[in-house]
Amino acid sequence: MNESHNNSVLEIWQSQSVEVTKMSAEVLRKRANKLEKKVWWRNAREYAASLGAAALLAYSFATTHDVLSRVAFGLFFLGLMWIVVQLHRKGSAKSMPTGVDAVTSLHSYRVELERQRDLVTSVWSWYLAPLVPGFIVYTIGHAIRFPHLAAWAGLALLDAIVALMFFLIWKLNMRTARCLDRMIHELNGSAK
Amino acid sequence: MSAIETIPHRATTPDELYEDAALTYGPALERLARAYEADPDLRRDLVQEIHIALWRSFKTFDGRCSPRTWIYRVAHNVGASHVVRQSRSRSQALVGLEELENLPDMNIDPDRTETLDRLLLLIQQLKPLDRHVILSYLEGLDAAAIGEITGLSASNVATKIHRIKNLLARRFQQGGKNDE
Repeated sequence: MNESHNNSVLEIWQSQSVEVTKMSAEVLRKRANKLEKKVWWRNAREYAASLGAAALLAYSFATTHDVLSRVAFGLFFLGLMWIVVQLHRKGSAKSMPTGVDAVTSLHSYRVELERQRDLVTSVWSWYLAPLVPGFIVYTIGHAIRFPHLAAWAGLALLDAIVALMFFLIWKLNMRTARCLDRMIHELNGSAK
Repeated sequence: MSAIETIPHRATTPDELYEDAALTYGPALERLARAYEADPDLRRDLVQEIHIALWRSFKTFDGRCSPRTWIYRVAHNVGASHVVRQSRSRSQALVGLEELENLPDMNIDPDRTETLDRLLLLIQQLKPLDRHVILSYLEGLDAAAIGEITGLSASNVATKIHRIKNLLARRFQQGGKNDE
């Protein structure tokens, strides 16, 4: 009796009315190209922005005569390079296998999500901390060059804004980590 | 059209393989998308995403499994990624078959809700792998085919199918009578 009832559920499932999507190979090719171009431009924009910032820092390093400022710009430059290298090494999304069985696919997906979660959880060490030495040296150098209260107050405000930005970036990344954790939880028990 | 049909052998190029796959399995892919996304607009996007993934995948299709297995694998994997990505907007966490068996029935009036809608609500609570299994079962695939698609062992598939049958019988016996 259960078997015949289950068969009727199967029949209901298979006979449901659906509107079949038709996409020609040409349309698919265009969509796929559009998607690839979008990814390419996003990466290009990120690298161009890093390159622009690096060029600006290198220019500041070369043209400034104050020793501490040069050290600060040098440290900023090195920090930025470190971030770019880490982003390239760890940040690039890995492409997921497509035609593999579900257990393999879900396992790869979980590994990728865990990698991304670990990356955002450790944002402090690879994204924020490398910029800190530059800021410290810049603050000291600026305070020595302009030894009056108004300049120090301005400097304190600037550092407070930078600290707030660091905090917000960290908070945002922790939120992303929680979101990734939830996604990983959804996959847990799905694939060993 | 039955989902257990296979692609005709004339298809050789990736484009031809895709066209035949879309023709033969189009309705099954739509049903599958329905089980992965309830919102019609998002579902339309998901169906397109599945078609693009399928078309792309045939470039690397090496014939080591049947086209049917390949198509279901690709479609399910896209569906699973979609479900996991949508976890942010979901108020309740997904559950496994075992947990679903022990959950109280959804607060749905069987007299007022169609079997299909209730079935979809039931499936949409499941974690990806169990969703793969129940959908493959509903499409009429046998345990061997489900094992090939999911990568689960034969005994594991058999256990899950047993659970699915019990679950469907328990949840739909009453509603089924009302629907008729």
